[in-house]
Amino acid sequence: MLEQPDELSSEIKAELERLPRERTPGQLLEERTVKELRSRGLLRSPRMRPSWIVVAAAASIALFAGGFGLGQWTTSRNVGDALVTAQQITAQQIEARERTAMEAAELVQRTGSAYVLALASLASMADSARNGELDQGREVATAALYAAAGQLVSLIPDDPIAVQIRRLLSATQLPGEQESSRRVVWF
Amino acid sequence: MLAELVLEQGDERAFRALYRRHTPYLYQFVLRTLGGSELDAEDVVQETWIRATQNLGGFRWEAPLRSWLTGIALNLCRNLFRRKDRAWLEAKEEFLPAASYSPEAGIDVERGLQMMPDGYRTVLLLHDVEGYKHREIAEMLGTSQGTSKSQLFHARRALRALLETGASDTSTDVRTRDHA
Repeated sequence: MLEQPDELSSEIKAELERLPRERTPGQLLEERTVKELRSRGLLRSPRMRPSWIVVAAAASIALFAGGFGLGQWTTSRNVGDALVTAQQITAQQIEARERTAMEAAELVQRTGSAYVLALASLASMADSARNGELDQGREVATAALYAAAGQLVSLIPDDPIAVQIRRLLSATQLPGEQESSRRVVWF
Repeated sequence: MLAELVLEQGDERAFRALYRRHTPYLYQFVLRTLGGSELDAEDVVQETWIRATQNLGGFRWEAPLRSWLTGIALNLCRNLFRRKDRAWLEAKEEFLPAASYSPEAGIDVERGLQMMPDGYRTVLLLHDVEGYKHREIAEMLGTSQGTSKSQLFHARRALRALLETGASDTSTDVRTRDHA
């Protein structure tokens, strides 16, 4: 069939119909658009609820204090680094109240990593350390874990791992044991 | 409503939801209108969202949000075309497939659209792909209905010629000739 010059053939019309109507650009475009909107004050970063901020900060402090206590106890070459980390983390904790949930989560992750590293350091010295010092290290590590598990239970009441840790640590606490009997200096 | 959360609270989650809902369509539309330039298309889509967010308070909910976004994006595309060629919406009578086009090479519609002058392509896309009327196109492009009809006439003729003759890789020569 002969069409007029300004008409499209049915084949071409069908091809036009079949053209895809959607294409997803790269993920970077979304991020850069959001960043630009934030910088212009048109968007606010998602913030955590106040209770989240308090719990996250408390968990961070508990974890940090445990790690820092261990660092102190070991009096190893890592103490200097631990002090620097302490300053950085404390500053971040203060700022966390004004920052995003994502940043607060990152802070918890970093502090947790510091805690785990400190534990690893303690474990590596288990053979060479004197018994008293080792006990003190265990005590502070357990106390930090207990405190963190307590905060985690507040944060996620149904989390089975946190509940189990807290229950287990409560059960293993000796009758009559008191806070004052601990030898760890908390900050 | 997501748009209200963005407008009233600057809610980022709501914005991201809106962005993800509408951007795939918007990006494809802009990319095709601009003739396949991904960098330009991304810039236009980003600027579209910025302007939309800035002016969300003035949006009247009588029309779908997508149409409003499309209008903003089209306006930005138009500005880009104008910077290249102030007479971008005038007839390009000299635009014809080059003699060196090879019927055996063959091109598809997408490629044919890319090879067309900006004004032809834009009007053809709006009318034959997106389904807008000449009155709407004239309003969106800030021109007359007569210009819209004229551009469509030339665009269809050019597309037919391109698809029927096929094309070798001389498209650059054609576009250069067209914009000269």
